[in-house]
Amino acid sequence: MSKDVSRSVLSTETFDCVRCGLNVAALAPDGVRRNHCPSCLHSRHVLDREGGRPECGSQMAPISIAVLRNGDWMVVHRCSRCGELTSNPISGDDNQFILMRMAVRPLAQPPFPLEPFGDL
Amino acid sequence: MPRRKHRRERVQRRKAGPEGRLDAFRCVGCRLDVPADAPGTVHRNHCPHCLTSLHLDDLTPGDRRAGCRGRMAPLSLTVRPDGEWMLIHHCVSCEALSVNRIAGDDNALALLRIAVRPLRDDRLRAGLRTVT
Repeated sequence: MSKDVSRSVLSTETFDCVRCGLNVAALAPDGVRRNHCPSCLHSRHVLDREGGRPECGSQMAPISIAVLRNGDWMVVHRCSRCGELTSNPISGDDNQFILMRMAVRPLAQPPFPLEPFGDL
Repeated sequence: MPRRKHRRERVQRRKAGPEGRLDAFRCVGCRLDVPADAPGTVHRNHCPHCLTSLHLDDLTPGDRRAGCRGRMAPLSLTVRPDGEWMLIHHCVSCEALSVNRIAGDDNALALLRIAVRPLRDDRLRAGLRTVT
């Protein structure tokens, strides 16, 4: 499947990040088309699922890390204008600091004390 | 303890929705009978025990506009800038995502299991061991 995807992406194709302005190659090192900036992980709301609301072209901020059953990480993006949520697989050269910061953020600001869980 | 900014909190208002709301529902995941009144939120939309939800609302909480009615499994947690946890649900039948506030009586152990899920990855654990 990844071969079909990579055939539709030119190896020289690039895009500018909507947030940090970084010019990145559209082809990720794992051979699939990337949809978020590897530096700031922001995305742009262009692709929408079929029959969904029309695309708005606005900035999508990364809000969370989701873990699939096979252990792969996905980044959940939220559109800053229309509030639509999407999840996308991470690529190998994504910013590890931002990924880790999102993964540990719930534990840094717990709504209940975590001390009782130490006894479990 | 949580680091919270002590600012004046906005009272959550109930969104306009269809009249005649149920006062209780049965969870599709664990069959627990759950009262609709929840501490800390005016829209309870997931089971406090297993955190499973049902795909009923479309854009606004309580609008009942989604025609899917599929089961929504808890996927991950995100944190608002004011430090409040939000639960991201993933619809098992139509793949839609939705984000909702947690309620005061939600199962703390179930929430914590979702919060530590990214960190219990074996590859990550191996990577951290090499760093330290």
